[in-house]
Amino acid sequence: MKKQILTATAALALAGAAHASETIVIDGSTTVGPIAKAFAEYYMAANPEVNITVSESGSGNGAKAMVNGTCDVAIMSRPMKDSEFKAAADHGAQPVAHVVALDGLPILVHPSNPVQDLTVEQIRKIFLGEISNWSQVGGPNKEIVTISRDTNSGTYETFAGLVMNKEKIGEKCEYVGSNGAIRQRVQTTPAAIGYAGLGFVDKTVKALKVNGIYPSPETVQTGEYPIARPLFMYTNGYPKLGSSLYQFMTIHLTEDGQEMVEEIGFVPVTAY
Amino acid sequence: MRLETRKLLDKAFSGLGLISIAVMAIALLLILTPIVWRGSKAFIFKGTIEHRRVMLELFDRGNPEKFNQESADAAAARAPVYQMMEAFEAEMKAMDRKKRKEYKAPFREVENALEELLGPMPGQRTPVLLRQRYGQTRWDRALVKLHETLYSEEWDYSNADAMGVLVEKPRVDFFTGTELEPLFQYLEDYLPEMMQPKTTFYYQFITDKSKDSHIFGGIWPEVLGTIYLTIGAMIFAIPMGVIAAIYLCEYAKEGRIISFIRICISTLAGVPSIVFGLFGLAFFLNTIQVSDSKSVLAGSLTLSLLILPTIIRSSEEAILAVPRAYKEASLGLGASRWHTVLTVILPAAMPGILTGIVISMGRAAGETAPIIFTAAVSVGAPLKIWETLSQPTPALPWNIYNLCTEHEAVDEIRHVQYGMVFTLVAIVLLLNLAAILMRARISKKLRG
Repeated sequence: MKKQILTATAALALAGAAHASETIVIDGSTTVGPIAKAFAEYYMAANPEVNITVSESGSGNGAKAMVNGTCDVAIMSRPMKDSEFKAAADHGAQPVAHVVALDGLPILVHPSNPVQDLTVEQIRKIFLGEISNWSQVGGPNKEIVTISRDTNSGTYETFAGLVMNKEKIGEKCEYVGSNGAIRQRVQTTPAAIGYAGLGFVDKTVKALKVNGIYPSPETVQTGEYPIARPLFMYTNGYPKLGSSLYQFMTIHLTEDGQEMVEEIGFVPVTAY
Repeated sequence: MRLETRKLLDKAFSGLGLISIAVMAIALLLILTPIVWRGSKAFIFKGTIEHRRVMLELFDRGNPEKFNQESADAAAARAPVYQMMEAFEAEMKAMDRKKRKEYKAPFREVENALEELLGPMPGQRTPVLLRQRYGQTRWDRALVKLHETLYSEEWDYSNADAMGVLVEKPRVDFFTGTELEPLFQYLEDYLPEMMQPKTTFYYQFITDKSKDSHIFGGIWPEVLGTIYLTIGAMIFAIPMGVIAAIYLCEYAKEGRIISFIRICISTLAGVPSIVFGLFGLAFFLNTIQVSDSKSVLAGSLTLSLLILPTIIRSSEEAILAVPRAYKEASLGLGASRWHTVLTVILPAAMPGILTGIVISMGRAAGETAPIIFTAAVSVGAPLKIWETLSQPTPALPWNIYNLCTEHEAVDEIRHVQYGMVFTLVAIVLLLNLAAILMRARISKKLRG
């Protein structure tokens, strides 16, 4: 009996190896995650023989996975750094960037917070710790709780570049590991301020105007909203034409793909 | 010590014992009750017509004729809603420009809220995103969305020294005197007819794939992934662990090296699980590259390292507890050492070894940190057995964390999260129960 089971298993394994299904492994940014998940669902519905897995572990991890060759697509909310390109080249990988969507970085506060509008300078000072009370920017007398993404995050890098001018965020800042976690901290902390991707704004948090401009698909698209950035998917080399990976990597160019990007809350690259 | 004092101390001690047991029982109740209560809502809930639509269209389940009947009833109940909206749109067109502009945004909000509640409007193009193709599938969520349709949230910031206060304004006030006014009362009165709620036992929650990252469907990929990872970890850890224990107890000569190895094993048992996770990433994936990407294989190997010390220690204890007389009798009859271990010591030690194994199985099933970097992904298909060698999988512990911290629509799908927690706790409890039963059976058999 045991022998029979063993042979059966072996036969099954061999048969499986003969037509092993195709896989696309995606790793990286928690901002781009919802887009990648929606694309995966969309692609797998039409091509059930392809298994697409998505993990959301941060842009930095996406880049590392690409360098180590443990993913097919690295989703990143920032461009790859020189050091990452170099590491990739040393490992024989050639990362190619595909911009799949545009994203603003809304500054989030609790909806009960009366403050509506901040300048980039004020935000920078808040995160530096120089402004530490909401009353200094026209709010009630409450100490500000700053919440930032961890340094592995592409969203953090964008924020550090566009708002902080590479200055170090103050010591009191709280660091959390994902966009969702930022939203959760802000929606439960009345005095909090944080930042996340456009797709993560819902009615439980309030996005502030920055320099008088409200973060919306239109203002991001026109470049009026000051804290905006493209979202990337990196592949190792340009995908072979006609391959599943190629089809997957061109979804964002199709009308369906753009509708998905838009409905999730981001800005399609060829919008309007 | 005087007799009374002794008695008093005795009573005080038993009282303390009782109290601690009571505290433990309450703590257990406090933890388990919400898990079971909220978790069961993923399986038993009032499902709306939209739930049955999802079941029929995405999972090919249910009776189409009955569904069509219900769907027609629901559509009939919904028709006045759409008529009122059309009438209002016509009314808006007739308004002067300024007034039309005033009504435009609030009307759009009502439209959006209704789309979330009831699904796409008739005649609308089918949305690409699955989540937008259906209305609310659960009655409790439908009530929440109804509330959002009836009331708009505004924040009152008039007190400059304090935080704002939430004010819920009935939307109907804004639309008084227009064609849209009766809509709100109608929604409130006829929601059951529009949604056709019915108590549903969705036991397929465990065996259904997830659709549109857990917004619809079940948790099969996660359950299967957890099973694969646990079994995989056992395949590696049991032989290694038991053989190591036999060696340490029966073959090795006591000495410095052996006691050093024992210390190492104890230390290994105390290493935090995230360290194993990072080690697994660095060693199995990046150095020896057991697979091209994260995979069930790499995750199982990492988990097996994590539970190895437990298995070795518990097996060792079990082997040492076998009476010396058994072994001596066997050896005295001329059996070889190997033969003695295999036919006398191991069977006698089996209950203890099995307990250790099953307890560590529970641990392997529930661990998150070791699989984050080596095996777990947030979305993936259920794997076939040979695909476990090369492909990553979703797994219950990781996906619970992922859903509650990273998912973009977490508030909409709390029930899935609780359902996963419930399922994981049930799996671990069942494993422990199996251990107890197995142990009892084998002990009975041994006693003859």
